[in-house]
Amino acid sequence: MSEKKRVGVQNYRFIELEPTPTTAWGKFKRVLKRSVKLELFVGLKVTFREMFKALFMGEMHTVKYPLEKLPISPRYRAIHEMKRLLESGHYRCIGCGLCEKICISDCIRMDTRYDENQRKEVVEYTINFGRCIFCGYCAEVCPELAITHGGRYETASEQRASFSLFEDMLTPIDKLKEQKEYPGFGAISPNADENIKKTPLAY
Amino acid sequence: MSAVKETKKTITITIDGKEIQAEYGKSILQIARENGIYIPTMCYLTKVEPIASCRMCVVEVEGVDGFVLSCQEKAVDGAKITTNSQALFRERQNIMKLYDVNHPLECGVCDKSGECDLQNKTLEFEVDEQDFTAKEMHRPVQNWGFISYDPSLCILCEKCVRVCNEIVGSEQLQISVGGYKSTIVNTKPDNDCVSCGECMAVCPVGALVSSDFKYSSNAWELEKIPSACAMCSAGCQLYYEVKHTSIDNPEPKIYRVTNEFEFSNLCGAGRFGFDFENKTAFKDSRKLEEAIKAFKKADTIAFSSYISNEEALLLSKIAKKVGAKLVCSDSYGLSRFLKAYSSVSGKMLWDGTLEDIATSDVIISFGGKIAQDAPMVKNHIAMASKRNKARVIYMHPIEDYTIQNLVTRFIKYEAGSEEGVLAMLLEFLTRDKELDSKIKAFIDELDIGYLSAESSVSEEEIESLKLDFWKRKRFSLIIGSDIFNHERVENIAKIIALIEKYTNFKLIVIPPASNSLGVSLICDLEKEKEGFVVGVNAPGDFTLSSLGDGDFDLPAFNQIEGTITTINKQVVPLNVALPYDGYILNDIAKELGVGSDLTIDLTKELPKEKGFESIEFDELSPNAFSVHGEDLRGYKLRNVTVEVNFELEEVADLESFDGTIVYCVNPSQNPNPFTNKSHLLQSKATLIGSKQFATAAKINDGDRVEFEMDGKKVTRVFRIDTSLKGTIALNPIFDMGLSAFWVSSYRFKKVNINKVGSGDE
Repeated sequence: MSEKKRVGVQNYRFIELEPTPTTAWGKFKRVLKRSVKLELFVGLKVTFREMFKALFMGEMHTVKYPLEKLPISPRYRAIHEMKRLLESGHYRCIGCGLCEKICISDCIRMDTRYDENQRKEVVEYTINFGRCIFCGYCAEVCPELAITHGGRYETASEQRASFSLFEDMLTPIDKLKEQKEYPGFGAISPNADENIKKTPLAY
Repeated sequence: MSAVKETKKTITITIDGKEIQAEYGKSILQIARENGIYIPTMCYLTKVEPIASCRMCVVEVEGVDGFVLSCQEKAVDGAKITTNSQALFRERQNIMKLYDVNHPLECGVCDKSGECDLQNKTLEFEVDEQDFTAKEMHRPVQNWGFISYDPSLCILCEKCVRVCNEIVGSEQLQISVGGYKSTIVNTKPDNDCVSCGECMAVCPVGALVSSDFKYSSNAWELEKIPSACAMCSAGCQLYYEVKHTSIDNPEPKIYRVTNEFEFSNLCGAGRFGFDFENKTAFKDSRKLEEAIKAFKKADTIAFSSYISNEEALLLSKIAKKVGAKLVCSDSYGLSRFLKAYSSVSGKMLWDGTLEDIATSDVIISFGGKIAQDAPMVKNHIAMASKRNKARVIYMHPIEDYTIQNLVTRFIKYEAGSEEGVLAMLLEFLTRDKELDSKIKAFIDELDIGYLSAESSVSEEEIESLKLDFWKRKRFSLIIGSDIFNHERVENIAKIIALIEKYTNFKLIVIPPASNSLGVSLICDLEKEKEGFVVGVNAPGDFTLSSLGDGDFDLPAFNQIEGTITTINKQVVPLNVALPYDGYILNDIAKELGVGSDLTIDLTKELPKEKGFESIEFDELSPNAFSVHGEDLRGYKLRNVTVEVNFELEEVADLESFDGTIVYCVNPSQNPNPFTNKSHLLQSKATLIGSKQFATAAKINDGDRVEFEMDGKKVTRVFRIDTSLKGTIALNPIFDMGLSAFWVSSYRFKKVNINKVGSGDE
C-alpha cells in the first residue's frame, strides 16, 4: 500500500520489457537486432525531414544573428526613438522637461532656449544609455508622444558611458512615412476618441 | 514700529470653530494666516494693500448675507467665520473656471510651469474641462527690455500694476480696462523703466517673464540658494537659482535670481546682475606665496567695502599682525560720521529702518540721489507716498525727474553747502524746543542770512516746511551718502544727531557701499595710505581682486559664505552659489598665523562692543520672514550706548562750487563694477549733463571729453539729457574697475572739461 501511495492516483502502467540477456549469445543477438534492423533511422527520421525542408524548401529555423534578427514585440522597451510630426516633419518634442524630471536613473538631460520664432527650442538632448534602465517612464509621461521606445535592443558599446543624441534617435526625415506609433505605455488608448469632450465655441 | 504709540484693542473671533484672539484692525485673511488657517487667494500679495480683484478669498460670516472678501474685511469682535464649505468651494471653482477660459495650454513650455498659481489652483479646485468660451484674440508677445509680456497668459490679477505703483513708485504699468480685452499696458515703453523686475517676480503665471531666462530651464530643475544681495547696503533677500551650465558643461551656473516676493523687494541690479563671479581663479601656490610676502611687507592695507564682515575682521587681524594701517576709502567717511554722531546722540547707530520710512507721513531726504544710490530706500519712500500720502521733501543740488511723482517739495541747495543747510534745518526744527545751553549758543550764532545766501536755500523755503508738517505724525530723515566725504562730515554728523535728538524725526543713514556699515564698525580706519600698499578690492602695489584683474584672485559675493551689515543694521548671511577654485583671504591669514579654520568661524567673533552678537554662521537664517513679512534674517545689531561728549564747531564758510561740476553717481541698475561684469547690465558709461552744462563746458552732445578726478584722468562720451537742469553733470563710475572704489573724495567735483574728440572712436 505504501508504495502505491507514492505513485499517486494516476493510471501508471508498467511497460513490458524484454528480459535482459544474460548469456553472451543472447547479448550478441540483441546488438545485431538493434543495428541491422535500422532502428537508429527511426529516431533520425524527424531530423532528416527538417534538414530536407531547410535545404530544399526554404524553411530554415535558425537566425543568422547579427545578420538577421527576430521580429520583436511592438511593446518591447529598447533604445528610445524621437518621433516627428507626420504633417510637417518637425520633431514633436516641445522641451517640456517631463522626461528629464521623471527619469528615475537621472539619465536624460536637455538644453533649451528661446528661438527666433519665439518658441522653445531643444538645442541638445541626450540619454545616457549607460545608466538607462528602460523603465519606460519617459515614454509614458511624454505629453506629445515624442519620446517612445523602439526595437533596437543592442546596447553594448565600446564606451562605458554611451550617450545618445537627439539626432541619433530622431526618425530620419526620409523615413518619415515608415514612422510607426508606439503602442506601449504612454500611447493613447484605443477608445481615446470617445473620451474627448469638445470645448464649447461661441463663434 | 510707528513713532506714535497706539494701543490696539484685542478681539476674539471664531474661524472654522477655532477661537482666536487677534488685534483689532487686521483683516480676516491676516488673522487666518497668523493662525495657520488656509484661505485660497489668487491676487493677494502680502507686501501691498489688498488688491481684491480675484474674489477667491471669500468666506462666510455668520449673520452676513452672501460672501465676504477676507482680504479687505476687518475682523470684528465675536465674528464667526467659515473658510470652507460646499458653497464656497463651488464659488471658488467657478472663479477658476473663468480664469481658465482660453488660457493657452502651453504649460509644457511655459517658464512658470511647476510654480504657477493658476496650475495649482486649477488642480485644487478640480477644473478639468472648459465649460465657457470666449473668442480667441490676437495678442502678440511684447518685449519690455529685460521683461517680456505675453497678454494671452495674463490673468489680470493686477499684482504687477500694484507693485509698480505702490512699491517701486514708477507708475509704469497700468490696466487698460475693456472686459475680456483688458490687458496690462506699459505706459512708457520708450522711456526705459527702472527695470527692477518686480512685476515679473510677483506675476503668478507666465505672463511676465525674464527675456534672458525665458525657456532656458524648468523651474524644478533649478536649485535655490538663499543669500543676500550685496550690491548696495540694503542687503535684500534673494535666491540664486543654479543648475549645470549645459549638457557638455557640468559647472554650475546662475540662471536667474528670485526672491521672497511676497514680503521683500529687489531692484534691477540684484535681479539681473547676478553673474559677477570670479571665474579666473585657480589654486596657484606661487601667487599665494607672493601675496603672503606682500602682506608681510605692507605698510597699508587698502580695501573697499565690497567684502564681508568676516573678511573685514580678517583684514584687521592681518593688519595688526603685520603692523599695517587699514584704509578704506568708501567707508572712512561713514566711520567718521558714526564717531561724531554717537558722541552727540549717545548711541552707536541710528534708530530708523526702511520700514519706518514706509510708515512715515513726512520724509526729508537729504544729500543723496536716492533713486540711483539706494533703490530700496526709494521704494520705501514710494510706499509711504502711496499709502500714507506722505510729504516727501527732497533736498539735493540736482533735481531728479525720475521720482517727480513721489517728491512733493524739492529744495535745491548749492553743492558743498550741506552743513549750512542742515544748520538752517536744525534752527527751524528746534525753534520751540527746550535746548541745552551749548546747543542754544550754537544756534544763536548761526548767520541764517549768510547761510541762506550761500546755499541758495531761501528762508521762505525752510519756513514753508511748516505746511508739510501740518497735522503729520510720523517723520523720517534720510541722510544720503554725499555728506560722508564732505570735509565737515563730523560737524554735519553732530547737527544731524541734534535734529534726531530734539525732534521726532526717525533717522536713516544710507551707508555709501555694500558693507560700509560693517566695515566701519569692525575696522579702525585711517585716512591716508603710505608706503607699500596691499589693495583688497582696491588698487594697490599688490592687488587682490574679486573682479579677477588683480595680482591675486578673491571670490566674489556669490562665491563666499559670510555676513554683511545692512542699512537696517541687520547682519545677514550670504551663501555660496558658485564654486570658487582659488585661494581665499583666510588662506593668507592662516599662513600669517591669524586665520581660522573657516572664514565663517569668525562670524561669532565679530566685535560684541559694537553691537554684533556671538552667533554661529550656520544659525543665521538667510530667508526667514514672519507671516506678515517682517524680515527675520540673520540678527539685528544691538544699538550700543556710548558716552555723550561733544563740542560743536561753528559752521564753516561755505565753499562755492562754480563752473562745471560733475557728480559721481551710477545708474540704479548698474551700481558698481561687479554689476557691470554681468552680461545683462554691462553698459557703456557716458557723462550726462544738461544743455546748460554743455554751454558752460563748451561741448556738444556726442563729444568725447576728458577731465581729471582725484588725480585720475577720465575720458567719457558726453550726452545731453534735456530733463536735467543746471551745471552739474552726472558721471557714472561703474566702468572704472577697482579704482571706482577709490573715488572717495566729495561726490561733487569741480572739473575742467576738455574736448578730445567725438563719438566712441
